[in-house]
Amino acid sequence: MAQFLEQIINGLVLGGIYALIAVGYTMVYGIIQLINFAHGEIFMLGAYIALMLITVFGIPFWVALPLSMVLCAMLGMLIDLVAYRPLRNAPRLSALITAIGMSLALQNLARMIWSARDRQFPTQLLPTIFQGQNAISLPGGGTLPYRDVCIILLALVLMIALNRLIYLTKIGKAMRACAQNPVAANLMGIKTNQVIAITFAIGSALGAVAGIMVGLSESVTPTMGYYKGVAAFAAAVLGGIGNVTGAMLGGIIIGVAEVFGAGYISSGYRLAIAYIIMIVVIVIRPSGLLGKSTGTRA
Amino acid sequence: MNDKLTPKNVILGLLVCFLPLLMYGIDAISLLLSRYDIYLDLPSGDYMLRIVVRAYLYMLLAIGLNIVCGFTGQLDLGYVGFYLIGGYTAGLLMARLGVTYWIALPLAVINGALWGLLRGAPTLRLTGDYFAIVTFGFAELLFRIVKNEEWLIGGPNGMVRDIPPPAVFGVVFNQNWHNYYHIILLLMLVVFITYRLQHSRVGRAWVAIREDEQAAESMGINVSRYKALAFTVSAAIGALGGGFIAQFQVNISAPFFEFWESIFILCMVVLGGMGSIRGAMIGAAILGSLGEILRPGFIIPYQFGNARYLIFGIILILLMRFRPGGLSLRKA
Repeated sequence: MAQFLEQIINGLVLGGIYALIAVGYTMVYGIIQLINFAHGEIFMLGAYIALMLITVFGIPFWVALPLSMVLCAMLGMLIDLVAYRPLRNAPRLSALITAIGMSLALQNLARMIWSARDRQFPTQLLPTIFQGQNAISLPGGGTLPYRDVCIILLALVLMIALNRLIYLTKIGKAMRACAQNPVAANLMGIKTNQVIAITFAIGSALGAVAGIMVGLSESVTPTMGYYKGVAAFAAAVLGGIGNVTGAMLGGIIIGVAEVFGAGYISSGYRLAIAYIIMIVVIVIRPSGLLGKSTGTRA
Repeated sequence: MNDKLTPKNVILGLLVCFLPLLMYGIDAISLLLSRYDIYLDLPSGDYMLRIVVRAYLYMLLAIGLNIVCGFTGQLDLGYVGFYLIGGYTAGLLMARLGVTYWIALPLAVINGALWGLLRGAPTLRLTGDYFAIVTFGFAELLFRIVKNEEWLIGGPNGMVRDIPPPAVFGVVFNQNWHNYYHIILLLMLVVFITYRLQHSRVGRAWVAIREDEQAAESMGINVSRYKALAFTVSAAIGALGGGFIAQFQVNISAPFFEFWESIFILCMVVLGGMGSIRGAMIGAAILGSLGEILRPGFIIPYQFGNARYLIFGIILILLMRFRPGGLSLRKA
């Protein structure tokens, strides 16, 4: 029972992280129909930036977190500007190949700069709440670290904020308009490129938070963007790509499924579970759980 | 692909035929010079020959991937999956069951083709990104399976050891120059088949599907059947490459077949210009040898690790931005 509870909590932590990354994939896909492979890399860089800010520059955690978000948002906009914007009218395959190239380049750049080894956030430099020994005891002998509670709450708050942003603000309205019909939105006086840049910025900032969360609960490696990114993408597909609420739901489902699969089936197949869910969803119901049915076309 | 007997082509042909001789000649010359205390410091001929064999292998794989990516215009991100199937089918048959290479290789190709068809069936109606994602997931799943199923593969990390070299009447083909002529024969076969397919009814149907699937359908082309055929042929070629590498490398393991290998091959096809056999071969020749030169420890210092992938990523981005048709002249 205690193990079951702990697994649920681990699944929710992972699910919250996946949801935050998946939102970045799904928002960009919703507007420009591009699988932004480089998003996973931004998420990885977010973790490294925060790590560097804390360890090298000695900046306190609660300052490093928003700083890393801002830097990643800028990076996301920069990638859009130099790599994707020139290809807006090119065949979609070209943009997809560019995204893969960008992912490959960034991942290996990170490997060159920080080497391939795992890095941990130094515990003594973190706020006490994130230090592992502070935990609530659960009935049945398990423990619930405050760190996990924090991660789940932070993910929840950010996602509610994003949801409000999309449905209640002017920029959110512009984003939804661009997702529906970019040409018509442009004719209505919406600066499409600006909206797309903001979308990249928001997705990247949330990705950075997710990266830091992974750094807190696991470790920071150059390949984390690739592995976690693919699972998060699977979450976006599961929820219905282009649908922000779906991405959150998909993230939680994939996270819990992965933890349970690793715990009860085989830890070697951790990631395979996300892939299997993704393939089954695409083949059976390409529009995902909450997406509108669009037939065979993506 | 012109059949003119021009001097350039003859020289090229002779060079391809006698390259091993040239390589060993260089070896002999540097050995001779070292007696007079002149050291050229060249890599050994055997080593260079191995690089050339790998480049030819990549040509074969690039031609196979080009059938799906170039001819029918679908982005296949999991081509390495068929390479893996071919490699493990041949490797396990030869190392575990003692099947001779000449039977194991066709079986590997058939197995690959079968999987190509199997993967093709559910993905026929998918287009664009969704197809790419399913192919990616397929290859990743296969990678996980060979990595984890020790009872099936034998060693940790999908290691299959001591795959015997092919032999005919007791003559064992385990030298690098054997492999050189071996891969050239396979490559010639593949080029011949693909070339004939490209310039037949089938090839024209593929291109029609690439340009406009609905228009092709309305012209009476059975889109599903021709797509399935493309997936099958492409997969068979990938498996052929896998069968070759199993005996060439002697030991194979899962990291040979990682996702980035797919992207590496895709990079070759894109560089050469999608939809052209010659382009795929040129792309493979450039990147195949470049990939070897940029391996850590050769020019790039070890601490930078796999910087070559950084370079490949930048190549992909720059190509798409400035030259989407690749090095060939066809506009994308």
